[in-house]
Amino acid sequence: MAANTTSGAASAPPRTARPGRAEARAGVLFALPWMVGMTLFVLIPLILTFYIAQTKFQITGAPKWVGLANYEALMKDPAFWRSAKNTAIYAAISVPLKLVMALGLALLLNRATALSGFYRTVFYLPFLMPAVAGSVVFMLLLTPGAGPVNIVLQALGFSPPDWLLDPSVALWTLILLSLWPLGVETLVFLGGLQNIPKDVSEAADLDSPKAWHKLVWITLPMITPMILFNLVIGIIYSFQVFTQAIVIGGTTGTPAESTLMYMVVLYRAAFRYFNMGAAAAMATVLFGVVLVLTLLIFRSARGWVHYEGAGR
Amino acid sequence: MTAKTHARPASLSRRGFLKGSAALGAGLAMPRMALAQQEGQLLLWLPGGSDLFCKIHTGLLEKFSTGAGLGPATTVCGLGQDTEFTQALIGSITAGTPPDISMLWDSPVSLGAQGAFMPLDDMMKGSKISIDTWPAGLLSSCQFKGVTYGLPVTAGVYSMWYNQELFEAKGIPSDRASFPKTWDEMRKLSKEFTVWDGDKLVSAGFMPNRVPETMVIWSALNGGGMFDEANLKYTIDSEQNVEMFNYFLDWMNEEYKGDFNLVDRSGNFLDGYPNATTGMGPAFREGRQAGMQSGSWLLGDIFADPVPTFTRWNLAGNPVGPSGSKSVSGTWPNWFVIPVGSKNPQAAFDYLSYLAVEGSVEWYQQIPDVPTNSQVQRKAPEGLVKNRGQEVADDITAFLGEQAAIVTPMWNSPVQSYYTDQIARATEKIYTKAASVKDALAEAQAATQAELERVLAG
Repeated sequence: MAANTTSGAASAPPRTARPGRAEARAGVLFALPWMVGMTLFVLIPLILTFYIAQTKFQITGAPKWVGLANYEALMKDPAFWRSAKNTAIYAAISVPLKLVMALGLALLLNRATALSGFYRTVFYLPFLMPAVAGSVVFMLLLTPGAGPVNIVLQALGFSPPDWLLDPSVALWTLILLSLWPLGVETLVFLGGLQNIPKDVSEAADLDSPKAWHKLVWITLPMITPMILFNLVIGIIYSFQVFTQAIVIGGTTGTPAESTLMYMVVLYRAAFRYFNMGAAAAMATVLFGVVLVLTLLIFRSARGWVHYEGAGR
Repeated sequence: MTAKTHARPASLSRRGFLKGSAALGAGLAMPRMALAQQEGQLLLWLPGGSDLFCKIHTGLLEKFSTGAGLGPATTVCGLGQDTEFTQALIGSITAGTPPDISMLWDSPVSLGAQGAFMPLDDMMKGSKISIDTWPAGLLSSCQFKGVTYGLPVTAGVYSMWYNQELFEAKGIPSDRASFPKTWDEMRKLSKEFTVWDGDKLVSAGFMPNRVPETMVIWSALNGGGMFDEANLKYTIDSEQNVEMFNYFLDWMNEEYKGDFNLVDRSGNFLDGYPNATTGMGPAFREGRQAGMQSGSWLLGDIFADPVPTFTRWNLAGNPVGPSGSKSVSGTWPNWFVIPVGSKNPQAAFDYLSYLAVEGSVEWYQQIPDVPTNSQVQRKAPEGLVKNRGQEVADDITAFLGEQAAIVTPMWNSPVQSYYTDQIARATEKIYTKAASVKDALAEAQAATQAELERVLAG
């Protein structure tokens, strides 16, 4: 038996598993720094957030288990519902608006002109400006009475609104400001547009001279993966809108809570009221909502996103 | 401090948020500095403030440390205001590397009641800054359930500021004694100055209060209050407060076209500083507003840009409401606390004693935050003497001392920030007519009382 085994081993083909294992080991080693970072800074905080959400934790002292009491309190908190409503309106309007504007810009920037590079840089530049600074600039531009925007509107015969003081207008102002900057979304669309094969584009030109036919039947289907990407990222970011909201509306969402956003309420619960349990509960609710929305979008994407070379 | 402005007093301001970003970065770098802290070497943290503010405190701490034979002291300045400073401080306390002593611009009661700051009562006993050397109303801003968690070493004192030149131009006596003693008198006088050009407010007299932090002063002026600390009960929707807001609402409707947006479009009539949101200059300094309530910190800034269009102004006591019986004042103190985990608590307390009595004299002379300990021999601020003369400066100093002694209890709740946000929300709803006075106050009352009970439970 032993001899057979020995002879069998001698005649056996060389083991192919070894190089695979070595590759796998190398792969793990290369991924290790990321995995450690992910565990330390994402996974553990995520688990802790779910734990803290079920405790009374005022930062100093130890957390005390309270079960679902924080969630019950949230359901009764008018600020929670008000901020959820404001954020939902903001997301529902700003995301599609941003997509359309960014696509329009990308289509313009895709035209080959001598100044293409210049325009691309100009439209991307605002993205490099800190959001706080950008918000402050817009606040000064939109100042009632003395602000340049209202001065121009008045000179043109319009009766300008109180952009940031009127509760019925302030949220729309915030939505308007969400359109600035559009650099990243535009760049993603531009990448998609430039990947459309020339022969396809030229064939479309021959088939129909109408530009909108080409846009609807060729261009849009070809860039649906980019639309999906911008849509998902846009929804995630819009539910987390914070900087512009807190700079403009403070922690109370002035005027009259019209700019009170979900993340602002979460922030003030944690760092103004020291109610970490409530803040963590809000974070888990947001996590759940964004997760469900993202899954729904991915599910629907099977029907409308077309990948080059794929069956559909 | 140079300025506690009230453009968005109830919330984190833009300026605060900008400073906060820097403070957060500084806070992250803080452990390295804090680890350098050693026994016998004091480490002091300060929130925002001007370069002069930092220089004064650095100098005072060095002077004390040298005199007491301690090692070299460290003062960390400009860690941000409001929430962001608190974040950095709490972070250091929970990490076990707090400063020995810290200044706060927010009430120490909330965090003190949760065990973040050392109780000072035992150290105060037999010291030169014992409890009886502090005005009770002021000290209550640091106390909860009989425990003292900090000291209001100096304070901005709220009183009425008025433009004497505008008064005199209309033949109205401008001495302090003649200033209106009641809300009715003030409202009647206000009309003398209020001028509209269409929907633009050209000039105004006085304004109904809109500042959430000071609403408790106006409530006390009307015989009410916001928080009954003895019984742990909020009284936001009391009869006096309903009456107060109805009075203000009626005043706004009668004199300001029922719309503060029109007022805000016309200028900054809210306080004595440029508006951080709109960039509009202060109507009071522009000579477009006869008077307003402001903190005494304005004494340090009023001679700087934007320079007032007039030279003669004065301070007077706060007028009394329809249901009130006596004038009271209010403050926004500069609190000092000794965080739990301080490596030098006794030396930190000794510094507090020095600062409260000797140090605050020098502080007040350069930046007019009013020393509050009864043993302090106040000397008029240098800037005030230079610009208004010794007699006026001495008179104002004496007046602010009197006002500091009649401070109504405020800042004394363990859910102070929550209350402030709720009263800001109610005030906005009332003035924008989104809710009736009763409903808005009842909602604020219910929410704040529930939060108080949640915090105190278990």
